Amino acid sequence: MKNREQRDFFPGAWEMMILRTLKRQPPDGYALAQHMSGTSNDVLQIIEEGSLYPVLQRLLKEEVVKAEWSISSTHRTYQLTAKGAKHGEHEVSRFENMLEGITGVLAPGES
Amino acid sequence: MSWLGGLFKRRRVYAELSEEIREHLQEKIEELLATGMSRKEAAAAARREFGNVALIEEDSREVWRWPSMEDLATDVRYGLRILPKRPTFTLTVVLTLAIGIGGNTAMFTLIRAVLLKPLEYRDPDRLVSLSLKDFHQNKRDGSFTLKRVDEMRASSKAFSAIGAFLKLPENISLSGRREPEALVGARVSANFLDILNVKPRLGRSFLEEEDAPGAPPVAMISGRLWRRVFQGDPQVVGKTATLNATPHIIIGVLPDNFAFPFVGTDIWMARPAEWSVIPPGARPHVTILNGFARLQPQVSLQQAQAELDVLNRQYVLANPDRLDAGPGVSIEVASLKDQFVANVRPTLWMLFGAVGFVLLIACANVAGLLLAQANSRLREFAVRAALGAAGDRLVRQLLVESLMLAVAGGSMGWLLAKYALYAVRHLTALQLPRVGEIRPDSMVLGYAVVLSIATGILFGLFPSLQVLRRDLTAELRESGAGAGGGSSARPRILGIHARGILVVGQISLSIVLLIGAMLLIKSFARLRSVDPGFHSANLLTMKITLPPARYDTGQKRNTFFGDLLERLASVPGVQNAAVALSLPTTKGWLGTNVSVEGQPVVDGAARFESITPGTFCSLGIPLRRGREFTARDNSPAALPVVIINESFAQRFWPAYPRGQDPVGQHLREGLDKTGWVEIVGIVADVHEEGLATDPVPEFYVPTVVHPPQTAYLVVRTQGDPELFVNAVRSQVLAIDQDQPVSDVRTMDEVLEATLGQRRLTTLLLGSFAAVALLLAVVGLYGVVAHSVAQRTQEVGIRRALGAQPGDILLLLLSQGLGLALAGTGIGLGAACALTRLMNNLLFHVSANDPATFVTIALLFMIVALLASVVPAWRALGADPMVALRYE
Repeated sequence: MKNREQRDFFPGAWEMMILRTLKRQPPDGYALAQHMSGTSNDVLQIIEEGSLYPVLQRLLKEEVVKAEWSISSTHRTYQLTAKGAKHGEHEVSRFENMLEGITGVLAPGES
Repeated sequence: MSWLGGLFKRRRVYAELSEEIREHLQEKIEELLATGMSRKEAAAAARREFGNVALIEEDSREVWRWPSMEDLATDVRYGLRILPKRPTFTLTVVLTLAIGIGGNTAMFTLIRAVLLKPLEYRDPDRLVSLSLKDFHQNKRDGSFTLKRVDEMRASSKAFSAIGAFLKLPENISLSGRREPEALVGARVSANFLDILNVKPRLGRSFLEEEDAPGAPPVAMISGRLWRRVFQGDPQVVGKTATLNATPHIIIGVLPDNFAFPFVGTDIWMARPAEWSVIPPGARPHVTILNGFARLQPQVSLQQAQAELDVLNRQYVLANPDRLDAGPGVSIEVASLKDQFVANVRPTLWMLFGAVGFVLLIACANVAGLLLAQANSRLREFAVRAALGAAGDRLVRQLLVESLMLAVAGGSMGWLLAKYALYAVRHLTALQLPRVGEIRPDSMVLGYAVVLSIATGILFGLFPSLQVLRRDLTAELRESGAGAGGGSSARPRILGIHARGILVVGQISLSIVLLIGAMLLIKSFARLRSVDPGFHSANLLTMKITLPPARYDTGQKRNTFFGDLLERLASVPGVQNAAVALSLPTTKGWLGTNVSVEGQPVVDGAARFESITPGTFCSLGIPLRRGREFTARDNSPAALPVVIINESFAQRFWPAYPRGQDPVGQHLREGLDKTGWVEIVGIVADVHEEGLATDPVPEFYVPTVVHPPQTAYLVVRTQGDPELFVNAVRSQVLAIDQDQPVSDVRTMDEVLEATLGQRRLTTLLLGSFAAVALLLAVVGLYGVVAHSVAQRTQEVGIRRALGAQPGDILLLLLSQGLGLALAGTGIGLGAACALTRLMNNLLFHVSANDPATFVTIALLFMIVALLASVVPAWRALGADPMVALRYE
């Protein structure tokens, strides 16, 4: 039994990636998982795909995404809400700032 | 959105979620099928990559919940479902806890109401009691003379007011309304309500001038009497009631529950020293008053004590030959509350400690039961863990279950406590002061709730910790595979060490309780075997208080008693009858100074008793020398004579029964410089103050010398004394139709009543100890039975290999006996330290009585052996072949 922390990189990582992915296209859960592991050079493959669902539920509850059952298939697709788009932008820029900082610190010293 | 709407919405969300996950897996499987996998492989791979479906679904749902509240509700629901499925277990636990929590709640209520809560008067910390201590005479007396009280009042600066009350309740007859009735009366100084700071509910309190001799007769009455006799008449103040045959004006009604100075007082009168028992001339000089006072605002107890020490020295110097001015006399100031409850304090604390022990034992027992239960539920836990329940969820489930048990036990305990307190309020044998203040209030309820929760967590923690420490997945793997050797069978016993520790603790606590109870039982038995000095069988007693107004001279009183005895002599079935100032075993200290002719004046305090001829015969007190009083001794013209007891003889004639014969010698009472009185007889000692108190020097005079106002009639009857009550009462009414009798009891009842508090204490501690023993033995049995069951296979192997049944029995017994031995050892040590605290509750038994300690230890070991032998025997009895296959 894995415990919960192992399924997340750092708090908010999943949310951010999901929001970013959803910005481009509204996929269903399965597609979302495939897309994320595909575009991450399979780094995320070690993570259980199912881990996505609690996060999606959380985002649904916070009303940053909305879900619709498509009429043609039995899939449920997710879409960003207006609030979600803003939230995603904000999170990403925050992360990029942080990443920049971290990279700076981790980079070989110049002196 | 409404709460209900939220629930419905959530249901849909959950359904969609499940659907979605199913779709996800489906899609994955199809994709994998496309790569050429078999359907089975694909399904497995999809699940592997997805992760634990149940857990993820659970986590996803959790997003929508109010965090822990709903888990709690789930746990409670689960508990409600699972607990009734184990009725024996649940019932045992709830009952055990109910006894533990109920007992504690009841005792806490008592302790709080009687010992802890401040008195229900204003500024109760300022209230003190004053008492006289005489170390020289073994603290015989706590009371003052009126003269002393007056002097303290005049010169003391430490108190804003000093009051006094007659140390004993007085019988007061109320006549002229319906049947004559004897009521409990108190004589108090006029300022008593001012000192306590209590306002009457109707009317006024006494005035200072009403304390002076000759003041018009006034009385205050209790709220109880006001309602019962005066029908709650709001105009009662100013009306007249005939008390002791004198019309008294009722000046006030006291509040309900007012119980000063005695519980059950119905009438208060001023002039505390005017006790009808004491002849008027002697009243200022007898020690019959108890003092109480209110401290000045800035004065401490120590300062007041210092001042009284000075006053006492002055008094002793000024009055060297007074009874209350001996060299060892001092005045003691103490908190009024402490003084009030002094007689029950050690008993209550001991019982509180005892129920605390019982609760601990009960908790340990329940913890043991829960451990055993958890043991058999390991499979269930393992399955739930595998299905995704996290460790903390399992622990929470267990804790919730134990809390539910505790709450159920606590509620039952609360009811139990309420019932027990109801009984306590109506048990006069306990002689509890402040009994009207005993009620379970919100504080007590809080105590019970906290106690329940604390116990729930306490006993729930053990199994929870054990479950947490277990590798539950191993449990699943192991079961079904069969336990191989003895070694792999062992770890499956959950918390066997914890249970062992619990059992040792239980045993030691119950050993302490058993020893305490045994010591009390022994004390009680020794007390019962004390010869009271008289024959109590077939004796009817009753109290007669002659109203001073109608019986104002000694001659009238003596005539009344003479007539009564004469009439009783002709009642068929009455063997003989007598009248005495007081009843054996119930006497307070009524003493006076005595000197003997031809001997230097020594500390000659002796008890004084006034009796009619025939008293020794009626009571069955043996005459040792000389003669009893005759009718002639009791006539006004007779030469005064006196009879002494053997303690008296030994005090003044140390060589008694050899040497000079006291009979024929003369003694003189008090400071009375007139006449010497001849000693005409010596009687055996009587335990006048109760069986626990040793006899003291005592002398008897005929009633003609001191005709009592209040006296006891003692009638020796043929057969059951109860049958003669009406015959005797009608003889009293035949002489005076307004004369009530009260306290109608057989002498056996009187004797039993003096033992009542001890009997009850012994009974209570005895039952606590019995419960403790039962719980401890059940606990021990449980552990042994469980571990023997776990070793069934091992036993089978050993027997198959040829081990003797005796050896195996020894092996199986060793564990139980080891635990019992450890517990007994610890218990004996603890008892050694703790029983000393109950020293003043014991009678002629040492607190560390070796016989008791050894008996209890042996007794317990025998019981422990039995508790271990039963399961061990059963294991031995099993067919080895069956045992080998046992799992």
